Amino acid sequence: MIEQTASPRLGCDAPDALLAVRAAEGDEDSFAVLVQRHSRSLLALARCMLGNAQDAEDAVQDAFVSAWRRLPEYRHGAEFRTWMYRITVNRCLTMRRRRPPSLSLDSVLEPATGDAWSQPARAAERDAATAALSDALAELDAGQRVCWILREVQGMPYKEIAHVTRSSEQTVRGRLYRARRSLQEAMGPWR
Amino acid sequence: MALDDPHGRPPEPPGADGTHAGRVAAGVSAFAGDEVLACGRLLSRVWEQAQDTGPTPDPHPTSCPHCRDAVEGLAPVNAATRALRTETSPSLYALVDRIMNVVRAEVRLGRLLPLADPVRDLRIAESAAARVLRQAADAIPGARAANCRLVRAEQDTEVRVTMTLAAALDRPLTERVHQVRRSVLDAAGRELGLVVVAVDITVVDVLETGPTPGPALSVRGGAS
Repeated sequence: MIEQTASPRLGCDAPDALLAVRAAEGDEDSFAVLVQRHSRSLLALARCMLGNAQDAEDAVQDAFVSAWRRLPEYRHGAEFRTWMYRITVNRCLTMRRRRPPSLSLDSVLEPATGDAWSQPARAAERDAATAALSDALAELDAGQRVCWILREVQGMPYKEIAHVTRSSEQTVRGRLYRARRSLQEAMGPWR
Repeated sequence: MALDDPHGRPPEPPGADGTHAGRVAAGVSAFAGDEVLACGRLLSRVWEQAQDTGPTPDPHPTSCPHCRDAVEGLAPVNAATRALRTETSPSLYALVDRIMNVVRAEVRLGRLLPLADPVRDLRIAESAAARVLRQAADAIPGARAANCRLVRAEQDTEVRVTMTLAAALDRPLTERVHQVRRSVLDAAGRELGLVVVAVDITVVDVLETGPTPGPALSVRGGAS
């Protein structure tokens, strides 16, 4: 095993579109930069959707490998990031249909810091609330869950969520409202 | 993507659940199951305004007790959501390595091109040659190669290179393209032993110089 990195300056200023063009022609180093750039946020998305770390890693790995194989046909109709989110969401939905989540989100979460939960005395309450949110998320229908995670956890703008989910911004807003309403009801006891 | 969107709840009849149908501002459409607060605002819009960051020109939600109460109803959800946002991923390096190991195992050679040897027996895969030529282009400050295709020229031992480029605009483009062409020709001859008869370069994008979009990781490849 030798250390192999992309061109020293490649990842510093190369935009996704350029790297995707190179990767489509078989340039592994360019693809490695894209993987490094986007794996963190995609992993966070997958963990929220699937509820456990191992399934999330499998989903993200499958998504990137699928992207690598499909890149030669990728026509850059959408941003690479949006395209990767779409592939990952689809992969997560497929995995959820095959095997329901087995672990609660709180088992893979790091303790939050710098907020009201950060006092040690409230750690147990925080964990229980997070588990309750995890359970409530699992009860949402797929469309609502995806929109809620992309907006509330990933901070994605409505327009991009609409691209990822192949729907309109109005549909995204409607799903978000219904998701918030369901989650509010589920989290009522924690108020 | 097949994301079915069955309504989370059926539309509620006007007046049900404490709603006040008919008092919503004109032009504002309610979602299925939406609720009208006592002040006439839609719950969906109040939540949207509260959740979306940025200054809001509408002072109403901060002064209205009904809107405030509605927003406070989301507080437990927001508190638990913060935990999701602050999580870290200890296995990210391993994951990136695993992905790249799978990718590198799927070799894409492309066409085989002739090298300039007397016996005319040596060949190089297009993907391998393109990688070297892209690096030669990248070596010029303010230039980044995108496409790089190599095709046989009229003579069997000669190759023609077609390259697209993103270039910064801090210097004349012609000068930069000339530097890239020289660098590519030099690498083709000196490092690969290719006889390149032409390097056709098209500038297709402007290279922005800005902050690095993401954290840099070291990726171990599968070569040995």
